[in-house]
This record gives sequence, structure tokens and C-alpha cells, in this order.
Amino acid sequence: MDVMSAAPVIEQLSRETGISTAAALFDKIPPHPVDPVLSPLFRRGGLPRGELVTVTGELSLSCGLATIAAATREQKWCAGIGLGEPAVSSIADLGVDLDHFVNLATPGEDWLRVASILIESFDIVLVDPGFAPSASERARLLAKIRERRMSLISLRPMSGSTEQIEIADTRWSGAEHGRGRLQSCLVRARSQTGSHRFLLPGPSGTPASVPAGTLEVVTGGVPAGTANAAAEARTAPATSPDTDPDMDTDPDMGTDPGTDTADDPRWSTITQLRQVISHVG
Amino acid sequence: MSDESGRTLVLTVPDWPAVAAAVEHDIAPGRPVAVLHAGKVIAANAPARSAGITAGNNKRAVGYRCPEARVAVWDEEADNRHFSAGVGALDNLVARFTLLSPGTLAIPLDSLRHGYTDEADAVETLVSALVDDTGWEFFPGIAGTVFAAVLAAGQARRVEPGQTVDFLSAQPITTLEYAGAEATALIEVFWQLGLRTLGDLARLQTTDVNARFGAFGRHLHELASGRAGAPLADHVRGEQLDVELDLDAPTTRSDTLGFLARQLGADLLAKVRRQGLVCTQITIELDAAAGQSSSRTWRIEDMQENAIADRLRWQAEGWLAGVGRGSRPGQDPRTAQPDPQALDIVDEPAPDAEDFSDDGIIALRLIAAELTTPIGATRSLFDENTGQITHTLERLQGLFGPDAVLVPGLQGGWDPAETNLWTPWQQAAVPERSPAAPWPGALHAPRPTTVEHSAVDVLAADGSPVEARPSGLGAVPATIRFPTGQTEAITDYSGSWPIESGWWDPNRAVYRTRLQVVTDAGRAFLLSKEHGQWYLTGRYR
Repeated sequence: MDVMSAAPVIEQLSRETGISTAAALFDKIPPHPVDPVLSPLFRRGGLPRGELVTVTGELSLSCGLATIAAATREQKWCAGIGLGEPAVSSIADLGVDLDHFVNLATPGEDWLRVASILIESFDIVLVDPGFAPSASERARLLAKIRERRMSLISLRPMSGSTEQIEIADTRWSGAEHGRGRLQSCLVRARSQTGSHRFLLPGPSGTPASVPAGTLEVVTGGVPAGTANAAAEARTAPATSPDTDPDMDTDPDMGTDPGTDTADDPRWSTITQLRQVISHVG
Repeated sequence: MSDESGRTLVLTVPDWPAVAAAVEHDIAPGRPVAVLHAGKVIAANAPARSAGITAGNNKRAVGYRCPEARVAVWDEEADNRHFSAGVGALDNLVARFTLLSPGTLAIPLDSLRHGYTDEADAVETLVSALVDDTGWEFFPGIAGTVFAAVLAAGQARRVEPGQTVDFLSAQPITTLEYAGAEATALIEVFWQLGLRTLGDLARLQTTDVNARFGAFGRHLHELASGRAGAPLADHVRGEQLDVELDLDAPTTRSDTLGFLARQLGADLLAKVRRQGLVCTQITIELDAAAGQSSSRTWRIEDMQENAIADRLRWQAEGWLAGVGRGSRPGQDPRTAQPDPQALDIVDEPAPDAEDFSDDGIIALRLIAAELTTPIGATRSLFDENTGQITHTLERLQGLFGPDAVLVPGLQGGWDPAETNLWTPWQQAAVPERSPAAPWPGALHAPRPTTVEHSAVDVLAADGSPVEARPSGLGAVPATIRFPTGQTEAITDYSGSWPIESGWWDPNRAVYRTRLQVVTDAGRAFLLSKEHGQWYLTGRYR
């Protein structure tokens, strides 16, 4: 079967039934639920299972913890590797159920070994890898993740990921040059579904949507956190003028061959399909 | 009625905290004593009360009314210690008894029936034995349920068999405070509903109470209507449920220790099983030849001798390694954990088990720390795959040591570094500070996501260090310099807010000023200045 001729079919599937990856077509596993504020970041509205997701940039740990929060409240077990000493109060603030979170204080160079053990029984593993895995290690890791249908979130760029969330800009407010204290942080994040703005952490510590009219004008006309952001991004990639400069200069993006054409979701869909077809034989 | 089977004798020492304080501080009997907690009198002995001191007075009011009164701060630990030591006389007189709270104990009357002719005789014998032994005044109370007996003891009464319900129904609703702090809110609701006595509450339908107030309301309803609740856990004598082994020669070999621990654990579990109980937590105590000892409590879900042996081995290895290096690094996961920026630094490898000094462990002791009925230990059907999780985490503990797998918890404190309570998987968490106590000035959300510990410099625009005074910062902070020498410009900063606590005790005195800064890289930090030095204490990652 000619791969390129499949593109229109996939486009149709993706638009009409919400199936945007070949893995979803084959496995039909619903993603783990995420906080409604973060849900537009993900192609299927939740943390995909059986796949690797990267969350990078400043505040990536907060974003990663906020992503796992809803799942831990549904009794899913989550482990963190290489996170240093996380502050329990902020983990609780972000909505994580403390009874289903475990932190591994293992040496950084052992993260791959630890992760491979945790994958056996944990639903989500959040890792700040101490080193990048070799190509064969990565292939084995991804195969194991796919087989166990668990989610791996990496806080550093790693190739082989199906969704990349990158926090491009953070703007803290509330400190008022010595007159207040930090209240919230306006975050601009880019993912496969386009560019989004939200508060992370919001005033109560959990992610919050941007209150209308209180912050600076949203440039470029991409309404933050709306469901049609995905469609807009597909037809008109990089609609916000302010996204262009750092997209070109960001050194992290260049290391990942999957993301250089990340603005076009069709490309990654085709890559996915190609992988699955070669996998199936 | 349940009256006959549940009939209980309660002995209580009035104003127990005051009595305990007198024992603790060697105050002569007859001198007025008042015990303060959170600035208010919570207990006073008879001479103090006759001088006009009542519960709720503050320290100054005590000084006005009775200048010669000794004022002591409430010490929960001393309360418990003196009471459980004092009632040792009962061990030889009754088959079983339960310590309800410091100052109050309960004895099921059916356990006395064989030794004494009637209730009055039993009470007289027991009270005189206790008074002879301790010199404290005990008030007895007998009624059909434990709760009723506690109320009866407050009035030094004996409730006739069959009269318990009548006795209870006349008591005011506020007596339900006995059920604990969470009852206070419900008592208020009951009061607003016009329920003034326990009898008013008892007349309501059980199903209605359950529907409106849930399980706890039903529990209070049961107390009020004199129905017997769950039987009390007996005061189990210590020597029954621990096992001990003295080694012929000190050993440091973990395989030897593991082998011995397996046998010892099997002995303990057999002992526990003979009682018809299940052990869910176990305390392992190790004595070294040089005289030190190590004690840790472990929670083991699947309690068997192999699991006990593993825990003992881990504890021994970690402890001996610590002793060998002259410190106890195993206690503090922070020191064993590499800096997030320095992930590549190889952690110090655990010393080989064979390399320990000549002396080693000379005695092992296993204590069943938490006992429960078999049904209480059964895993719930709704806990998803806990068994597999346990297996995975135990495997990781076996590979990287018990302190590598940490579960989160919260304790009291101002900053994230203090509220963090990371406990090794399956060990009992031991909070150092109460989360329920007020922590004025504690950090509000949003809080930093990681805890850091490094000294930094905060510099003003002219390069001089920024001073922190109670009135605020000495200068506008312009630059932060990290230990690596790297600097970032500060674009925004919060107001500085000080914490002052423990000024009455030089060992606990805390004075620090905290500051949140945002740098030009978009990063936010929590800083704290203590003893003239700025520290990076948290990072918003």
C-alpha cells in the first residue's frame, strides 16, 4: 500500500471521528483524563496511553504534575523519576492524589532501568531523564510502553514522542515589585494542537483558564483553550506572529526530527501510520 | 439488653494533666497546679480550683487569682507515660483492661466476676490497690457501656443494671465531646435542632440519623442510646507480642542476619496468629555491640517471614553503613539525592556488607507494632492493582535501598522544605511537626514545585548584597548569583515577609525573611534569608 495515498483517508478519519493517530485506530484505548484546562493541549483531549509525551520548557514539572492529577484521582498510580526533591505541598495543590504518587530518589544514570521496572505496573511515569537513551534502548522502551499501554511523560525532549508540549513563555504576576506576592503565571504552550494560553499555576495552585479581559491582548487571533484551535492550527500553522522567532531559534526543537514539521499534524499522522504498518509487517 | 454483657468499670483520675504535671515536676501534693495548653488552662488540681482557677483562664488570670500556683505547659507525652507506668498495679489484679486516654482506663466487669463477690467489692479492692500504689485519687464509674461508664465516673456513680439508658438520656448533649474533636461541629448542629439531652438524640430513628449525618452521626446516636459499640482493644502486655534473639557473637553479615531474621519473624508471626490476630506493622530493633541501637517501624502488606527478613536486612545495612561513616545518612534522603542540575554525578555507592568494623549487631528484636483483626487487614477490591505496585516498589527497594522509594506526606511548617514528609515505601510516617497547629506566615499557593538547598547571593544594582530588615528590604534586588557563579537579572520581586517563632526557646528560635523573585529567564524562585545569608529554598519548575 502506498503510504502517501493514505493521507486523505487519515485526514478524514482525524477530522470526522477524532482518531488522529494510527495507534488510536488500532488500539481504541481512551486516553487518561486530564484537567479541563490542559485538555485542549492533547490531540485526543487526554494523556495518550501507550505513547511517549514530552513536556519541556520552564514550568515543565508543574505542567507534568498537573497533567497526571486527574488520573491519580481515578486511582491510577504514578511515579516520578529524577525530579529532585519535589515539594509535597505543591503536588497536592496541583491536584495530585498523594496516595497514588511515588517519588524515586534513584541515581540519575539509572533512570532507564528504574523506568523499565516501573512500566510493568504503573499507569503513568513522569521522568526527568538523566541522559538520552540510545536508539536501541529507546526502541525497546517505546515497545514496552505500547505493550503495557501506560503513559510516559519526559521532561526533556526525546525522539519517538507522539505529542510534544513545549512551554514557550511564562509571565508571573502578582509580585508587583515588592508590594505583593506571586499569584499566578500566564503560560503560553505549544503542542500538536496549536498554541494555548492558560494560568499555571493559577491563584489556587491548580491550572486555570485565562480570565477574560484581565490580561494582555491575545495576539494572532488564536482563542486560547478553545476546541477549534486544532482545526485552526491545521489550516493556518503558526498564526500568532510572536511564536515565529523562538520557534526558529529554540535549540531543543532541532534535536527532534519529529518536530521540524510539527505544525502540520498530517505529517506526524503519516509517520505514525508508517510505523504501525512496518510494525504489523 | 446489652447491659449485662457490656458492663464496664471505668476508673478516672480527675484533672489528670495537673496530676501528671505535678509528678513530672516533683511538685508537692497540696500545692495548686494549673496546666496550660495554647495559652489557656486545660486542667487544674483541687487547691487551684478552690482558689478560683477554671479551665479557659489565661496565664495572667491564674497569677491574679492564685499567685503561688505552679503553672506547667501541657505535655502529652508525660501524660501518657506517667499514667501507663502508674497503673502497673492492675496487671496483677485484673485479667484485662484498656487505657482509654491518659487518666482514664476501662475494665470489663465480666472479667472481674470470678475474682470478686460483687461490683462494690471489686471496685473497692482495685481503687485501694491503685491509690496505695500511686497516691492518686481515682473516681470509679460503672454502667452498661463504656461511654456511659466514663460519664458515670465523672460523677463517681454506679448505674444499676438496666438503668443505663435512663442515665444516658438525662445527660446534656455536650457530653458527646467524648467522641473526639470532630464531634464538636455535630454537637452544635444538634443543639440548633433543639436536641438538648442525649435522650432527645436517642429518640430519633437510627435510619434518619444515618441518612442525615452519616456514619459518624450514627456512631454518636449509638453512644447516646446506650448501644454497645465495637469492643475495645485490650491493653496487650508488651512481652506477649515481641520476640528477641541475642547472638552468640556480633555479626555484620547481612546474609546471616537475614537468615536469623527469617526464623525470628516466623516465631513472631506464629505468636500473632495464636492470638487470632494479624500484624500489619512491625518494629525492628537492632542493638550493636558498642551499645547503639536502631529502631524503625515498617508497614508490610503481605506480612511473612521473608518480607520481615528483607526489611531487617535493609535496616541493618543502612544503619551499619551509617555507623561506619560516623553519621546516619540513611535518615535523610536529601543528602543521598543528587542535585537536579548535577544528575550526572555518581551517587556514592553503598559500602559492601562485608567491610564493616569488627563489632556488629549483637541482638535483634521484632515487635508487632500494629495488630488488627484479619478482616481489617484485607485489601479492598477497589484498590486497583496494589499488589503489583507493592511488588514493583519492593523490587526497587531491594535494588536501590529502602530510602530510594518515597511516598509523599505533609506535616506542619512554614516552607515547602519543612512541610515535606517523604517516607520510604511501607514505613510508618513520623511527622515532626503537627499539620493541625497554626503556622502563621506559612507560604500560600502557588508554592514552589521543588525544594532546593543552596546558598545564593542577592545583589542590588550597585553590586552590594541586599539586606533584609523587619521593615522590608534594604535595597531593590537586581541580580541573583547562584553557587555555580551564574547570574540572572531579577525582573520582579515580591514583598519580603518575615517569620519569627520560638523566640522563647533559643534552641527553637526561627527568624527568617522570605522573598519570591522572577528572573529575566522567566524563572521564579523562593528565597529565604537566615543568619545573614540568602538561601534558595524553592524553585517553580
